[in-house]
Amino acid sequence: MALHLNLLHEEILQQRQRQRDPLKIGMMVLGALGAVMLVYYLWNAYKVLEIRNRLDQAQHDWAKVEPKVTSAQKRSAELNGIISTTKVLDGIIDSRFFWGPFLEKLSRCVALNAQLSSIDGNVLDDGKINIVIEGLAAGREPRAAAEELRQLLLEQLGQSSYSQVKVEFKSLEDLDTIVNIGGSNMAMSRFAINATFATTAAKPSATPGPRVKTRGEPKS
Amino acid sequence: MKRIQVNLNKDQIQKLALSTIGFFVLVYVYFSFFLGPLNNSRETAEAQIAEFQDKVAGAKNEMSKAANLEKQADASTKRFAALKALSPEGAPIAWFPPRIKAFFANQEIDKATARIETSVAFKEADLANWMRYNWAIELPQADFSTLGKAVAALENAEPLLAITRISIKALPEAPQFQQVTLTASTAMVKR
Repeated sequence: MALHLNLLHEEILQQRQRQRDPLKIGMMVLGALGAVMLVYYLWNAYKVLEIRNRLDQAQHDWAKVEPKVTSAQKRSAELNGIISTTKVLDGIIDSRFFWGPFLEKLSRCVALNAQLSSIDGNVLDDGKINIVIEGLAAGREPRAAAEELRQLLLEQLGQSSYSQVKVEFKSLEDLDTIVNIGGSNMAMSRFAINATFATTAAKPSATPGPRVKTRGEPKS
Repeated sequence: MKRIQVNLNKDQIQKLALSTIGFFVLVYVYFSFFLGPLNNSRETAEAQIAEFQDKVAGAKNEMSKAANLEKQADASTKRFAALKALSPEGAPIAWFPPRIKAFFANQEIDKATARIETSVAFKEADLANWMRYNWAIELPQADFSTLGKAVAALENAEPLLAITRISIKALPEAPQFQQVTLTASTAMVKR
């Protein structure tokens, strides 16, 4: 076996020590780790950029849509207001009491031997109608003539769509006056009839129709 | 298994400690100043995207609802316009009495007069832009049959007018005629 002399032992040892320098190894490990982290960071930054682009696109979409939706919301609010106002106005229109049909019914009840001197009608707050009719009736039995008018009125109002119909005498008194009707003298009586009824059950047939322009009406 | 003996001198231990500190500083700086803000920024952007997408979806929904409402409200809109057109521009006292006078003149009842009694705002919130006017309409001379037809025509022609009181009195000097007073309330647009 040949003798091998290592004359550079000190130098080799120093070189090995330099190679095993913990700081150098640590720096290398840190460098490698830093590189991995940098790559990971760049990858994340790329993804964030992509998301930012999507955000810009979404902002752009919203900017395009926002004015339209704002005006749509305004219009919706306006339309809802119109719908609810129209409903309320229709309610007011539908809850009206029509006097035309009532006056027609009343005219059918007045016989030749009766004369009405006044009619006072009121729509009460609860929706009921109160009417006071005053007049004169003539006949051999003037009270019967007045009663006939009352019963006819009760019948006429009961046949129509009114409910809770009440027709009662407020007063009925004989008069001393004699009246000549058709050549025969007849006694007279003065009466006051109070009629009340409700219109809640159904509405009379008269309904608001198309508006008719009247003479001298200002142009709207 | 062979056990590795590592003999480190004081200088090497110091360097090792320095490397370890460097590692922790690197990790701290990386997460606190680089990756952390980046992730925050990404999360914020994603939340904003979701918010915008929700808003856009909601807006599309809102617009389609508005379009549907527009179709559904067609009848109401026309009716509302027609009702609104019943109140011309200007103060009601300026145009309502002449309109009533002309209306009854058309119905062969002359000398009709209308005077305002009260005007009040409606209690209903939906009618904030409307006013209720109460009028006294006087017809000094009318026969019953003509009056009945005229009243029916008035009720048909003026849907926003409601007669709340009617008073018919026979004229002693002309029994074929009656003196009539109507109390009517009308809904009119606030001007």
